[in-house]
Amino acid sequence: MQTTSIVDGEWEVVSSGHKFTEGPAVNAKGELFFTDIPNSRIHKVNLDGKVSIFAEDTGNANGLKFGPDGRLYACANGKKQIVAYDESGKASVVAEGLESNDLTITQDGKIYVTDPNNKQVWFIAKDGSKKVVDKGLNFPNGVCLSPDQSLLYVCDTRGQFVFSYQIAPDGTLAYKQRYHHLHLVDGSMQSGADGMEVDTEGRLYVTTEMGLQFCDQAGRVNGILAKPQSAWLSNVAFGGPDLKTLYVTCGDKVYKRAAKVKGVLTFNAPIKPQAPRL
Amino acid sequence: MNLAACSRVAVFLCTALLLAPSVRAADDYVPGPDSKPQEGVPKGEVIKGSYTSGEKSVFPGGYRDYTLYIPQQLDRSKAAPFMVLQDNGGYSAPVAFDNLIHKKEIPALIGIFIGHSRVKALNTNALDRFNRSYEYDGLGGEYARFLIDEFFPMIEAKHGIKLSTNAVDGSIGGASSGAICAFTAAWERPDRFSRVFSSIGTYVGLRGGDEYRVLLRKMEPKPFRIFLQDGSGDLNIYGGDWWMANQEMQRALEWAGYDVKHVWGDGAHNGKHATAVFPDALRWLWRDYPAPIKANPTASRRCRRLPLSMVSGRW
Repeated sequence: MQTTSIVDGEWEVVSSGHKFTEGPAVNAKGELFFTDIPNSRIHKVNLDGKVSIFAEDTGNANGLKFGPDGRLYACANGKKQIVAYDESGKASVVAEGLESNDLTITQDGKIYVTDPNNKQVWFIAKDGSKKVVDKGLNFPNGVCLSPDQSLLYVCDTRGQFVFSYQIAPDGTLAYKQRYHHLHLVDGSMQSGADGMEVDTEGRLYVTTEMGLQFCDQAGRVNGILAKPQSAWLSNVAFGGPDLKTLYVTCGDKVYKRAAKVKGVLTFNAPIKPQAPRL
Repeated sequence: MNLAACSRVAVFLCTALLLAPSVRAADDYVPGPDSKPQEGVPKGEVIKGSYTSGEKSVFPGGYRDYTLYIPQQLDRSKAAPFMVLQDNGGYSAPVAFDNLIHKKEIPALIGIFIGHSRVKALNTNALDRFNRSYEYDGLGGEYARFLIDEFFPMIEAKHGIKLSTNAVDGSIGGASSGAICAFTAAWERPDRFSRVFSSIGTYVGLRGGDEYRVLLRKMEPKPFRIFLQDGSGDLNIYGGDWWMANQEMQRALEWAGYDVKHVWGDGAHNGKHATAVFPDALRWLWRDYPAPIKANPTASRRCRRLPLSMVSGRW
């Protein structure tokens, strides 16, 4: 699978003038939300491209994800909280007393949160109770689910690999193993892996120092999309009404590109891709 | 040979090529009698099994199938020579073993045909975690450690066999990713694996395997020998060009002074040619057994320059 099988055209600016963009997340309509961490804001991008402020004073919200209840969950690390916004932008506390960077949510409401400062991954159950389910990655950052939601992927910004875990019915994680092998920029001992997303066929997209690396299901980099600008490539999401618009957050801007592959929304029914052959 | 003789040979070769009838289509390799059951040859026992690694394994939770080949001639009073083949074997290996052991062209060895692992999904709407590329394409010592410290002790206990820990008795092979896996096992643990069979080897940029062709030239030679098979119709995809990569491996191995033999053909990314040449490869790999296999046996002139021009002897 080459880069030309994944995307069309060039990167286009979706939104600019921010301090540091992160947390791209997409709702059921395909609309994009993203954070500007230093400005403590969440922005919304309508399907017609219009950008507006969705929420302010977000506690320096970082990672975002829509849950199965339609609310927008946010890593409000400045407040040591995980909060959820309803459609009007009203926030409720989901869990508190934890540091956070990014999160993902299964269709049945399991929340996984990375906590890089403490080198751990949190699990938040539907009743709001929280517990640490993994420790030991150098800088656990991006977190996402396989399309069938049976595996959790966590990337290590300071390492070369994305780790894979099997999700147990009680939310705990089993069989932790290095899995996706990333390319490194010469002279750097770390991938800079930050945000991650999957497509319907089980490819994993990882924002890294080198660019947007995409791996096949077997965990091998098949191609690398160049960064849209020379800045930190922080995160990635598929949006638009057909989930065929690839969004990235990169430095002060958000960009998009037409995709030939299709993204998944974790609040929808899990998708079982074709099994890999190699 | 002088120039005139050279040109006479060239003319003869050209003429011969022009006149030669087309004897075979591309990638049309047919196994010979050593790959077919022969009358009067004792048949080894073939035992199927499966194994699941525990949480502490280098491949935690991995379920895998395996098949053991135990020759009738096996001397159970001694630790046995063996050949590991990735991807559950292939190449009509049990039959080839039967025939070559009977002819005393290879020792009475145990065949260990082992599959890659998968972490089984907890429900039918999800895929297993598929570990083939991680185990096989990945560099480093994890797979060899898994075999030596986890899998071999398990099959020894379960099947009442004893595998030799002497490098001369250890052989490993495979096709595609299973081939680079065999190479990596010998590269990391030449003290346990000294005979490598590599077919359509994936020495390309999937998980760093493209670096071997460079490391081979720089790293002090290691004590293993290797048989390489590949064909001009092999893959040429995002990770690299298999046909070029195999030729570069052969050139690097030769340059660095390894005992290497290659068979190139016009095959594609399949096991046809490898199956046809497997008995010959076994004979070559096990020739002069049980003489020890030394590093740098051909004492390559280039190799003596670097890095062996810097030091002599062993640690």
